Amino acid sequence: MTSRSRPRHLIPALNRFATAWAIYQGLLLEAIPFLLLGVLIAGLARWLVPQNTWIRRLPRQALLAPITGALMGFALPACECGNVPVARRMLASGAPLGTAFGFLFAAPVLNPIVMASTWAAFPDQPWLLIARPLGAFLIAVMLSLTLTLLPERQLLEQALLSERRMNQPLSRYSLLERSGGLVGGEGSQTSLLEGTAVATDRPTPRQMLKQSSREFLELMALLVLGSLLSAVVQTWLPRSWLLAVGGAPTTSILALMLLAVVVSVCSSVDAFLALGFAAQVTPGALLAFLLLGPVVDLKLVGLFSVLMRPRAIAITTATASLGVLLIGQWINLWRL
Amino acid sequence: MSRALLLMLWGWTVLWSWGSGRLDLLLRNVFHGLVGTAGLAMLATGLLMLFKQRPRRERRRWNDVRRWRDLASASMAVMILVLPPEPSFSDLASNRPEGLPQAPELAFVLPPEQRTLTEWVRVLRSQADPNLVNGNPVNISGFVWRQPDAPPLLARLTVRCCLADATPAGLPVAWPENKEPEPDAWLAIRGQMEVRMVQGEATAVVVPDTIQAIPRPQRPLEP
Repeated sequence: MTSRSRPRHLIPALNRFATAWAIYQGLLLEAIPFLLLGVLIAGLARWLVPQNTWIRRLPRQALLAPITGALMGFALPACECGNVPVARRMLASGAPLGTAFGFLFAAPVLNPIVMASTWAAFPDQPWLLIARPLGAFLIAVMLSLTLTLLPERQLLEQALLSERRMNQPLSRYSLLERSGGLVGGEGSQTSLLEGTAVATDRPTPRQMLKQSSREFLELMALLVLGSLLSAVVQTWLPRSWLLAVGGAPTTSILALMLLAVVVSVCSSVDAFLALGFAAQVTPGALLAFLLLGPVVDLKLVGLFSVLMRPRAIAITTATASLGVLLIGQWINLWRL
Repeated sequence: MSRALLLMLWGWTVLWSWGSGRLDLLLRNVFHGLVGTAGLAMLATGLLMLFKQRPRRERRRWNDVRRWRDLASASMAVMILVLPPEPSFSDLASNRPEGLPQAPELAFVLPPEQRTLTEWVRVLRSQADPNLVNGNPVNISGFVWRQPDAPPLLARLTVRCCLADATPAGLPVAWPENKEPEPDAWLAIRGQMEVRMVQGEATAVVVPDTIQAIPRPQRPLEP
């Protein structure tokens, strides 16, 4: 329906809905290939590298684990949507928590595609080319250290926890604990695990197809929800309000953090978006936008629910926001 | 609904969006091939699963959560197929700050009458003195962007990724007396640049010789 055929008094409201619907479709269609790529990488990793091998030998030490995970981003260049299934596969296969979280939170920035796009967008700001990967790395380490303070049963989503325990040595979890989280604990294996025996050997192509398609469709439903939420919020929240506070050091950082959460664009292109308003905001706010978006945004909140429990997602959001705010403030002190 | 059918439905939806040209309205061109390939892969995987499926003697009981999730997901795919995107560019632009990437050199090399609206905006922002373009011929097209306290601009949206990051670029136009156009209407304007005082500032304004209503271009978004 075009605006000309709409009744005049309904035009503003209908235009708003039509615009939100188009933004939603744009966000969703742009993210689907990356989600598919992530599920494909996760499936291939499971097929090519049988579990119980290298993945559980990754470092477990508090600081070394997130560093290793963060560096793995260079080998698996995907944006944040694609990283979720890969991180889930790592956790389900028994990878150390620190390594998987280090990968999940740092890889969306610490990968060749994102670093090249940041350089292409800001060739005249070399400090940003160093500060962005360094900041992403610090945030990932901070999140990893904070989240691993929680016991696994309070941290990981129920189905993932069950799958992870099935892939741990018997010396760590007994058969009773493996079957459904804690003995007497809530829930059973559902969701991504439903109907599939967890194999410790290489799966057959049929099993792999079955599990990957199930994983993709579950993540797809969450992506639909996240994209819808992001489109609605950004249609009804005028972006000019957020950028109006661009000159003040602290409020500009907070405003750009909110913008990053709402806009939900992929980390591979967010530098080009930031270029549009770089001149209107403080350097700390610019960096805050580039750091927070790849870790937390409305589109990701749904996807995170296949990895973590709501409390852990809330802790991730709060810790990442605090870390980004501090880094942004420090940059403003240095650059202003 | 079986998983294979749901995957095929989403694959078809994505492929349809690519094949029908809807992506021109939603995403930057560089992503179109990627989206089309993803749709094809989803459709092919769904078909493969459908043919490889072993016949089941007994129906498996569906998990309630999964049933509702799959139904919601399928409904959303059908809604995308049925309801095409029809954004109001004027509404979208009003919600976004103006800000374009650095001016590419090409904009300065092109003769004025070959510059697009976006290139004109880049040229004007990169030079402080509007008198340098005074009298230049203009041949541009764009949509009418409503302004709260001023006459509407003729504008284009630029995207780096998708509509979520669309950024408007607008040019002031000296509209004919009592003939202000409707917001969102697409117009082609031929005329010339003239320096006029707008709110006490010397500004380059498009003075039209002809204004023609045109349909929305097939690729309305610019890089």
